[in-house]
Amino acid sequence: MRISLVLLLSFLIVLTTGNALAGDADKVYGEGVSAADTVLVSDLLASPDDFIGKTVRVKGTAVGVCAHRGCWINIASDTEGQTVRLKVQDGVIVFPPEIVGDTVLAEGVWTANELSMEQTKKICAAQAREEGKDFDEKEVTSCMTLYQISGTGAVVAAK
Amino acid sequence: MTMRRFRKWCRTFHRELGYLAVGLTLVYAVSGIVVNHAHHWDANYERTAAVLSIAPPGTGATEEIEPLVLQRLALDRPVKNTWRAGPELLQVFLEGEGYDVNLVTGEVVHHAFRKRPLLFDLNFMHLNSGKGPWTGIADAYAGILVVMAVTGPWLVRGRKGLKGRGGLLMGLGIMLPFVYAFLVRGGG
Repeated sequence: MRISLVLLLSFLIVLTTGNALAGDADKVYGEGVSAADTVLVSDLLASPDDFIGKTVRVKGTAVGVCAHRGCWINIASDTEGQTVRLKVQDGVIVFPPEIVGDTVLAEGVWTANELSMEQTKKICAAQAREEGKDFDEKEVTSCMTLYQISGTGAVVAAK
Repeated sequence: MTMRRFRKWCRTFHRELGYLAVGLTLVYAVSGIVVNHAHHWDANYERTAAVLSIAPPGTGATEEIEPLVLQRLALDRPVKNTWRAGPELLQVFLEGEGYDVNLVTGEVVHHAFRKRPLLFDLNFMHLNSGKGPWTGIADAYAGILVVMAVTGPWLVRGRKGLKGRGGLLMGLGIMLPFVYAFLVRGGG
């Protein structure tokens, strides 16, 4: 009986200490960030091929989070309308929807994925659906290259 | 150690650890079912979307449009941020909710989400999202399950034990994952 009580008490102390420590500090996801310089998202998108395979650190507002598994976030560029996606391994890092609208510092390897024509059409159709526009498959004539950051970590600034 | 003494030890370990494991087993079992079906529903958050409308603010410069939109939305909670996602779309982010404002039509989609009570915490523990001390607790629980699995078969003797029905059921339970792996992955 005494042992059970001690175990229960230790368990509660561990939980409450953990919650107290999780206060208003910056929230680190994965390995956090370590790269020295921040690259502007607009620079990345202006010459994406120059950064392929390089570790990049970007900063911006989180404007979208994967609703399914929290496995990606879209980060707003310094230029209106542009975003960059930080994709992380499913389950390794999980971004919660609460971070939408917060400032994020994120890091990972800049990657380029050549999509097939079928994949390109699917993405264009989804984009058109999101924007409420009509979509005609015949208008897609070339394959798309999908650039994104293969994320290793991120830091969400304290509120 | 005699067989009788060994069985007594097994019973003691199995009983004490069994009591200790009840809470954690329920956490992992309930959350296990929930996250197994994560592709059917959002296991952590309840999400809602409602369509509203405001007077169309037009597609002018963001610094002119943003105050207009905020004024017309008449928000009574602090705004975290806004984002001009496109020429015709302004997004407004608040804690736990957001608005997608079509600047041409004035149509507004209000998105809101909130954590599912209890389920969010169960999933948080199951997926070890918080890491830290829970990693140790989950490892200890896994160890407890191993001890229970190893001691369990020795609890009962005779027809219902290892030499009878118990052994048959145990064999089936052990074979199940192997058969599944063989069938699904073709044994490769």
